[in-house]
Parts: sequence; structure tokens; C-alpha cells
Amino acid sequence: MLQIANAENVRAEAQFLRESPFAIRGLTVSYDQKPAVFSVDATFQPGKMTAIVGPNGAGKSTLIKAALGIIKPLSGQVTIMGRPVAAEMHRIAYVPQRASVDWDFPVRVIDVVLMGLFRKTGLLGRLSGADRKHAMSCLNRVGMTDFASRQIGQLSGGQQQRVFLARALAQDADLYLLDEPFAGVDAATEKAIIAVLKSLRAEGRTVVAVHHDLSTVPDYFDNVLLLNVRKIAEGPVETAFTDANLSATYGGRLATARIDPAAVAG
Amino acid sequence: MLFEALFFQLGYNATLVTFGATLLGVAAGVTGSFLFFRKRALVSDAISHATLPGVALAFIVMVALGFDGRSLPGLLIGSAISAAAGLFAVQWLASRTRLTEDAAIGAVLSVFFGFGIVLLTVIQTMSSGRQAGLESFLLGSTAGMLYADAILIAAGGALALLLVAIFRRPMMMVSFDPEFARASGINLDRTDLIMMGLVMGVTVIGLKIVGLILIVALLIIPPVAARFWSDRADRVVLIAGVLGGLAAWIGASASAVAPNLPTGPIIVLTAFALFAISMLFAPARGLLISAVNHRKFQRGVHIRQGLVSLAQGQPIYEPLTIRLLRTEGLARADGVPTENGIARASRVLRDEKRWETARADPALEMAAARYDGLMQIEDVLTSDQIAELDARIGGPKGLPA
Amino acid sequence: MQRRQFITAIGGAFVAASLAAQARAKGSTLSVVATTGMIADTARRVGGDLVTVKALMGPGVDPHGYRQTRTDIFAMARADLVLWNGLYLEAQMEDFLADLGRKTPVRPVAEGVPAKDLVSHDDYADRFDPHVWMDPALWTYAVAAVRDAMSEAAPDFADNFAANAETYIAELTKLAAYTAVSLETVPAETRVLITAHDAFNYFGRAYGFEVLGIQGISTDSEAGVNRISTLVDMIVERKIGAVFVESSVSDRSIRALIEGAAAQGHSLNIGGELFSDAMGEPGSYEGTYVGMIDHNATTIATALGGTAPARGLNGLLSAGS
Repeated sequence: MLQIANAENVRAEAQFLRESPFAIRGLTVSYDQKPAVFSVDATFQPGKMTAIVGPNGAGKSTLIKAALGIIKPLSGQVTIMGRPVAAEMHRIAYVPQRASVDWDFPVRVIDVVLMGLFRKTGLLGRLSGADRKHAMSCLNRVGMTDFASRQIGQLSGGQQQRVFLARALAQDADLYLLDEPFAGVDAATEKAIIAVLKSLRAEGRTVVAVHHDLSTVPDYFDNVLLLNVRKIAEGPVETAFTDANLSATYGGRLATARIDPAAVAG
Repeated sequence: MLFEALFFQLGYNATLVTFGATLLGVAAGVTGSFLFFRKRALVSDAISHATLPGVALAFIVMVALGFDGRSLPGLLIGSAISAAAGLFAVQWLASRTRLTEDAAIGAVLSVFFGFGIVLLTVIQTMSSGRQAGLESFLLGSTAGMLYADAILIAAGGALALLLVAIFRRPMMMVSFDPEFARASGINLDRTDLIMMGLVMGVTVIGLKIVGLILIVALLIIPPVAARFWSDRADRVVLIAGVLGGLAAWIGASASAVAPNLPTGPIIVLTAFALFAISMLFAPARGLLISAVNHRKFQRGVHIRQGLVSLAQGQPIYEPLTIRLLRTEGLARADGVPTENGIARASRVLRDEKRWETARADPALEMAAARYDGLMQIEDVLTSDQIAELDARIGGPKGLPA
Repeated sequence: MQRRQFITAIGGAFVAASLAAQARAKGSTLSVVATTGMIADTARRVGGDLVTVKALMGPGVDPHGYRQTRTDIFAMARADLVLWNGLYLEAQMEDFLADLGRKTPVRPVAEGVPAKDLVSHDDYADRFDPHVWMDPALWTYAVAAVRDAMSEAAPDFADNFAANAETYIAELTKLAAYTAVSLETVPAETRVLITAHDAFNYFGRAYGFEVLGIQGISTDSEAGVNRISTLVDMIVERKIGAVFVESSVSDRSIRALIEGAAAQGHSLNIGGELFSDAMGEPGSYEGTYVGMIDHNATTIATALGGTAPARGLNGLLSAGS
């Protein structure tokens, strides 16, 4: 239905944006003239956990990075509680994929977590005892206290992921953006991480995660955003995570058995 | 004599050289650490070789304008400009053409340096007199070190250290996790620019003492040596500064004492000696300690395997194992375990069982891969993970009869 | 085969034509290329209008490290006669000159000095100090060598060369006498000559001076800080008042000496600029061999406490020399 913009619609939209901890409007990103993300609108709900799913190359990581300004988008507007994202970066904690990390870099687990406090301390600010205690408590939340003095490169994939989550926790943010947090981790770590994310939700914070495992979407997440360069659908898992939407997103590449969200949710 | 030289007692000229060299060594060690972390060590070689045409052109320009051709600040400004041009050329070639960065470095290094040599040949025929002295920038020449030069080097070194102190956090974060650094508000390009600017600055002030051919050694050897001493990045930077300063201090003093020893190469050789010492003798990561640890490890494995055999009632055939168990008080000469031995054996068996279960679990594959025959599972898995394994094993078992 | 023969024939024709052109040129003047300015000046004095002389190294150029350029090679290949110093002065050109000697007459003029008069090299047992021009009495041997080389290349003019050489040698004898007289006026305790490199051994030997260079006989040698410290201590102890810079060598090490002496409370001055391995500006008096030695002697004598006429032997030294 064609919506003509009028004063009322504009006001309503503005109000809608102000209530959303993370909203994307018309985001387009391209590499070499091919669109990776095309004109995506998405509104994330406060205090909920949202999964971003889609096939490989669908632009899920790109969406997050462009929203944060790590990649330059071609167009689009991103707001945090109605305000431009660039001014609200201190409210966002980002957990990137582990691929670009230099594991040879000589740094301990505790130092990695303390890096999360950079925004707070800036170039020259001193790290206080309270800061260190805070970092240790974040490590505790992810079950990695015993590993505080270990070299980051010596840990297993799951343990590394926990440390990066602790780093994000240290930022005490309102919005958590995670890029494939469960990729390549063991079952126990996955359980630990989801427990932490759920506790964040219980605290009223917002969690958005790029997720690769469709079978666990209904279990872990409240809402879902289906993406394949364009937005296919978004909304609560019950209504948006349907067969039809999944086919549209994965375009017949989904060879496994269909998931009946009602059966899983029940 | 060396003792006096080290403590600045050997006269004004020697003191000037030693003082300037030490400051340079500290600044170079600290700055070079970031190059080392970023894995861009060879770019500094391209930069240093690219200073030569700038020095030569600065000389020609200054003479043409009627100034003293060998005024050090003028020459250093020229060197900085061409070094910047060289750096820019490397970036441009690596990003805009199909050349990889190391190919770009090689190309820039040789072209700029060759151009510089050609200019030196031109200068040798200029009848402006007193031009000899530019070739001293190749390997450094400290005999002609003046007070003004030492001040310049001290100021440059101090500035470099100040900048490192200010920007150390972003530089380290960018080296470790560039995406997270970006999301933390750090401008990647600007941080890289600062780092390379620091390298250029240290290169330029090092031209006089160690020369452009060897400055790369003073930038790279100290952090590589420092890496053997620490696993923490901030400590590595500090230790690299100390090692660089030490190498320069000792090297400059040695060259002041012995006749006809050129300063630059002696400093580099000293740095290499410090590296060799670090590599062999550093605790935890040095070769010597590694060899000792390896032997300890071997003996530990023997004992552990021996204990496992004891726990399972199997006879031990390896004489070394029996000998080690006896020495540790865990078994008698005939292979019968002592009380101590029984207790230890049952703990070891439990550990082995846990590992066995962990290895069978595909989700714990990465952790299980770390089992090296000696590692306790408590060191690898978290308590909730171990609890889960125990649940699967079904509680501790006693020793079989 | 036909094509190759054709090309060879054409090539041969070109060579023949240029040779013929050269032969014609020979008839006019003898073209001489000399390495250092001192040799070139000598060649001009001995040859007069009968020769055209080109010097490779101008004022301020250091012969120890000089590498021939393509233009130099071209000039030398086309010359009738190439004169160089020898005794390893032009260290970087040795191989090239040996090669060239197979096609063109190449003569080392300093090697005309009898071996017994040569000063041996500090560092190399079988070599000698090449700075023989510093003693005008010895340089007369080089003049003779130039005369002989030019006579060999252009026998028609041998008599002219001989006459010019005789005049010139007489001039050099007067120069040597003047130098000896001026330098004798320097008090014995200040007869120490400190320069950037060891170019003045012959000078020192001829006139009773102790000679010390910061660098060795060749400017290629590295001067260590140790050397500077040793010299500073000596300067302070013996209360030496003046050191000398050279026109063809960097003056940085001299300035380091002065600072080092100042740190010990001793005031050391620059006595003047000497011409060591190169002469002054072409066209000026100091741009000739006689002028160069005259300038050196006058400057040294005056700076170290002796007396010498301000305008030198012939009253031709530029003011403020």
C-alpha cells in the first residue's frame, strides 16, 4: 500500500525511531558496483534478542559493519533511540568475527578485556583498580576467570569467543551487536554464551546477532531478520520465521528438512 | 677504557656520540616494536633507502640557493620528504596495482636508492666544494658529530617517545583486532599514518649515527629480542626500548674506544649479540629454557604414563620410567606402587578418563586437541565443562585390584 | 653472411672516417685529458698553445673517491693522451685506466718521482702516499714526466715542451724556496699541521712540520670518534692554536675537534682553508698549481705564528686568503 508522507506519518515514524534502540533505513552497501546490501530497512525492538539470518554472501556481516560505520555505505541512515549512530557509538558493544584477529600478538586475556574500556579511558586515561575489577567480573560472567593471565593465542576457539564477549560486556552498553558468535565453538561454550546473552536481555539491553544455525533460532531468539541482500522479512520468530520466508531467503538452497516453528516453539 | 666510555668519561666528543646514540637506540627500539606487531618490518627498509635521493636533492637545492650544503636540518628535511614519497609509493603500488606489498617495497627501495646514488655521482662533480660527507649517510659517521647534531637527535628521539606514549593504545589495538578498534572509534588510517610517521622520524634522525642502510636493524632487532622476554605487548615495547638503548650505548662506547671501528655497524652487531643472548637464555621463551623444559616434559610424560600403568595394574617395562618413579617415591624397584604412588595414580587415571571423554566429544574438539600427554584438564576446560564430563563418566572410580 | 659482411663494411667505413678526422685534429693541437687539476695546470704550462687540456676533477672534488662518469669516459677515449697521478690517488679509476691504457697512451705522472723520495703508506706495506704535489721540489719530477709523455705523443713539439718545462721548473724552484723561507719563520713549538685527512706528509717532511690528519691518507677511511678524542687531548696538551679545513673534504670532523677542545676550555681556531687534493676556482691565481702551493704556505705560516707576505710570493693571492 502506497504510503504518502504527511505530517502525521512523519511524526509517527519519528516516534517509532525514538523508541528503537537500533533502526536502519535504506541502507545500501556495494563492493565493486555489486550490491552487498540493498536498501534495507530494519527496526530492532528494545530488550529483545534478534537474529539476522541468511545464506552465505547475503550481506549479514556487511550490514552490521556498515551500520557501525566500519564500512562506508552507499546510502542509508542508522539511528540509536532516534539519534544518529555516529553520536551514540558509546552505547554499542560490537563483537566481530574472529577472522581478522592477529593471534600472534602478545596479549593476555585480561588485556583483551581491558581493550573494551578504550572508549571510556581514551588515549591517555589511566585504568583504575575499579576498571580492573570490572574486567575480571566480566571474565567471571563468561567463566574465564582462571584464564585471565593466559596468552590469547593459546586458547581454544570457544574460549577466545568467550573472552571477546567479556570484552563487549566490559563496555556496559545498551546495544550488543555480535557477528556469528557461535561459529566454531563447542557446546559448553555455546551454552555459556547464550546464558550471558539472555542475562543481558533480562537487564533490559538489546541483543542483535548474526546467526548461522537455523535450528537454534526459535530457541535462542525473540525476533528474526531474514536477509539476502535485501530484507526478506522481519518480526517475531513466530510470525516471521516461516517456511515461505525461509524459501524466499535461501532460494531453494535450504536442503535440510523444513523447520516448523510452531512445533519447535511448542 | 671501555668502562670510562660507558660512563661518559672519555671526553666530550665520545660523550656526545654515546649520548645521541643511546637516545636513538631507545626511540628506535620502541618505534620498531609497532612495526613488528603490525608485521610491516620491511616497509622501514624501503623508507630508509628512500631517504637517499632526498638528502642529495636537499644538498643541491641548498647549494643552489647559496646556503651551506651540509646543514644537517636541511638535509634531514630533504630525507624526510623523499622518505614520505617512498612510503606513499609503496602504499599506492600495493593498493592500486596488482603488486603485493613486498613486491612494492622491493620496487620502491631499489628505484629510490638507485636514483639517490645517481644524484651522489652528480654531486661529486659539482664544483661547490666540500660536498664529501653525503655518503656518510649510508653507514653513518659519528666522527663529525657536533653538539647541534646531538640536540637534534635528542629532540627527535624525545618527540618520538612522547608520540608513542600518547598513541600506544590505538596502535596496539589496531595491530591486534582492527575491526574492534574501528568500532571503538579508532581511525585506522590515521593510526597507521602516525606509526609510519614515527618510523620515518626515527629513520631520519638515525641517518647520522647508524646510516640509512642499517637503521632498519636498529628498528627490528630490539623488539624481536624483546619478544623472548615477555608475552605482554606493553612490556615488549618497554624491553625493546631498553635493549635498543643498551645496544647503542655499548656499541657507541666500543667504537669510541677502539680506533677505526665504525659506529653504526658496531651498534648493530651489539644489538644482534643481545638478540642471541635473548634467544638462548631468556626465561620461558629462550632456547635454553625450552630445551630444559622439554627434558622436564619428557620425564613428566614418562612418570604420567607410568602412573597410568600402575593405576590399571599393568607392568612397566621401560627402565627409565621405573627409575623416575622410584626417584619420585611413587614406586619400588620391582614396580609395586607406594601409597603416594597409588594416590597419584588414581588422580592421573581420572584425568585420563576425562580426557578420553573430552576427545570423544566433537564439540570439545578444539580443547581436546591441546592434550599433550601431561596437561591437566583443569588447565584447559572451565569448571562447568569438566562437571559435564564427570557427569558422563559417572563419578571417580577406584583402582582395579 | 652477405648481410654481416655488409654491416662490417659500413662499420669499418665509419671507423676509418672518424680516425681520419682524428688524424686531422691531431695535426692542430694535442688533446690531453688529466685527472686532477694540478696535473692539468702542469700540462697547460708545459704544452702552451700546442695542447688542449681538459681536467676531470674541478675545484673541491675529492680524487680518492672519484668515479669516472660517462662523459669522462668519452673524453678520455677520444683524447690523444691521458695523464693521471697514480700511486693509488684515483683509487676508483684504477681498473678503468688500466683498460684504457691498451688503446690510448695513459701515463701516471707522480710515478716519475724516484722511489727513494716517496713516503710509504701508513696502512699498506707496499704502497706509497700519493700526495707528491705538496712538495714543489718533488713535483718537478712530475713536470718532467708530463713533458716526456707529451713529447712521446707529439714528437714534433718535443723541443717546445722541453723549453716550457724548463721555465716552469725554474718557477717551481722559486716557489719551493719561498715556501721554505716562510715556513721557517714559524716557531718550533707550533709546527703542527692538523687537517681533515693525511694529505700533507710530503709537505711536513720537506719543511719540518708534524702532520696529523683526522682521516688517513685516503678520505675513504673511516674516522672514528677515538681519533677525534686522541687529537683533542693532544691539541689541548700541546696548546695548538689552529687547525685547517680542506676545500675538497667535509669540515665536520674539524668542527668536532674545535667543539671537543672548547669543552676542555681550549680555544681552537680554523687557521684557514687549504687546498689539499684540488685547487681553487679556475681562472683565479689559486686555481693554478703555483697559486695553490703559495696559498697553502702563506696561510699555514701566518696562522701558526710565522710571517709571510699577505699577498704571497707573487703578490697575487686574493685578499683574505
